[in-house]
Amino acid sequence: MDLTFVVTNAIIVACIYGLIAVAVSITWSSLGLINLAYGFIFTFAGYGAWMVAEYLTENPFLVAASGIVAGALGGVIVCLTVFIPLHDKPNFTTRGMIATLAISLIGSQAFLIYFGPRPKALPEFFGYWRIEFLGTTLTSDKIGIVFCSILMLLVVVFWMRGSRRGLEIRAMMMNPQAASIVGIGIRSTGIYVMAVTGAMAGLAAILLSQTYYLSPFGGVVPLIKGVSIALLGGLGSVQGAVIAAILLGLVEALTNKFLGGQYVLMTQFLVIIAVLIVRPRGISGLLDKAREQ
Amino acid sequence: MKEVLRIEGLSAGYGPLRVLHDLDLVIHPGERIGIVGLNGHGKTTLFYAIAGLTGWQRGSILLNGQQIGRSRSQGAGRYTHKIVRQGLAIMPQGDEIFNGLTVEEHLDSGAFTPEAWRTRKERKEHVLELFDPLRKLMKTPVGRLSGGERRMVSIGRGLMTDAKLYLCDEPSLGLAPKIGLAVLEALMAIDLKESAMFIAEQNVALLEGRVDRIIGMHAGKLKGEASSGVQLGSGG
Repeated sequence: MDLTFVVTNAIIVACIYGLIAVAVSITWSSLGLINLAYGFIFTFAGYGAWMVAEYLTENPFLVAASGIVAGALGGVIVCLTVFIPLHDKPNFTTRGMIATLAISLIGSQAFLIYFGPRPKALPEFFGYWRIEFLGTTLTSDKIGIVFCSILMLLVVVFWMRGSRRGLEIRAMMMNPQAASIVGIGIRSTGIYVMAVTGAMAGLAAILLSQTYYLSPFGGVVPLIKGVSIALLGGLGSVQGAVIAAILLGLVEALTNKFLGGQYVLMTQFLVIIAVLIVRPRGISGLLDKAREQ
Repeated sequence: MKEVLRIEGLSAGYGPLRVLHDLDLVIHPGERIGIVGLNGHGKTTLFYAIAGLTGWQRGSILLNGQQIGRSRSQGAGRYTHKIVRQGLAIMPQGDEIFNGLTVEEHLDSGAFTPEAWRTRKERKEHVLELFDPLRKLMKTPVGRLSGGERRMVSIGRGLMTDAKLYLCDEPSLGLAPKIGLAVLEALMAIDLKESAMFIAEQNVALLEGRVDRIIGMHAGKLKGEASSGVQLGSGG
């Protein structure tokens, strides 16, 4: 029990919220948009997967895949309704934040009206087996969550490093004006960014649905945690977000164990505030290889 | 022969500030043109206006016969990537570099047309022939390079596609004289074929005898023009 149990729980929490944090981070640094609509995308993906499971097929692979696709679609919707109309207007950062928050709130209400307040369950994706590992029992869903989210993160990181679109996105993250000088279109790249990060939020929704039921307001807590992890990691850094996710996962697991679940948000935000007082740019300031301008 | 660039009645500026005043300019294929003038007289703004990066602009700009000079009042840079795709290579002042990308990724990012992307290996090799010092630095993040090396990267990035017009803003700015001269020599070594090159510079002596025409710029207007055979005296 004890230590390994705390660590495994920390890793699982880190995996799910880390996905959203990395998505928030990438969107902020490449598009300059603090996307608070991930709550909406998250719920959108969950209900998308639920509709497929309800009306088409119970096949776990197809249901999970449809959740990811629905997440990507949700990202594109947010891009088309917020980013493209607003991105060259004055004061875009504030306007974008408010517009995405509005989408999140309107979206939740729409889900409430359409699907009703009753929580929905998705099928189990990972079966019911379990293994013993270092004295702790690991259930299939825990292993599946960790495996899937790390896989997704690796795919995204390698895609960003290896592909041409990834190169464009990274270029835009570092210097948007120079990006347009070398012929990278902000709006077309924006759609790719939002689709990929939406897919990440979609996967997070699918994975979390293995533990919690789907509900119209189910996206709020993941959004808050994702944004706060991204802040702690230093907005804009993927490694920073991953490290912050592990740190906050650890805080959550330790709080759960020693204080009780109701104190989780308090201890997490205390840690975030403490880190941001010491290092205002978050964890990622420690990781920068190149000199800042 | 078709002109590479024809500017008519171009005015541009930022907000209430008007920097360029009704410019006219024609550039023919195969030409290297120098534009000289003091700080703050509009050389960079002229380049930005061609690229669609100024706050507002009006007047006609034809790049290779296509109109790129819309009248605009907001959204600087909104069409820049499209103009760049029509055949404009910009080597900006102060380099506009992506600090965290390696030299190789930089050169790749310059190859944005599908054709250039397919042939990017040969193109990189071609750039390395011009700028040999970059060869050992291909995997280094650009944020760690020296000023001269950065300039080479930013120029090399512009050379990764087949542009109609190369805009080169102060290639020797902030570099030691010897390195600045080497960078300029490299620019002269580029085979222009049907395209043209437009170089802004403060040091007339560097351009003299190397470019086809030198145009002066003063207070947002083009003043005087000399073919480079004419001696302008020592420096300006």
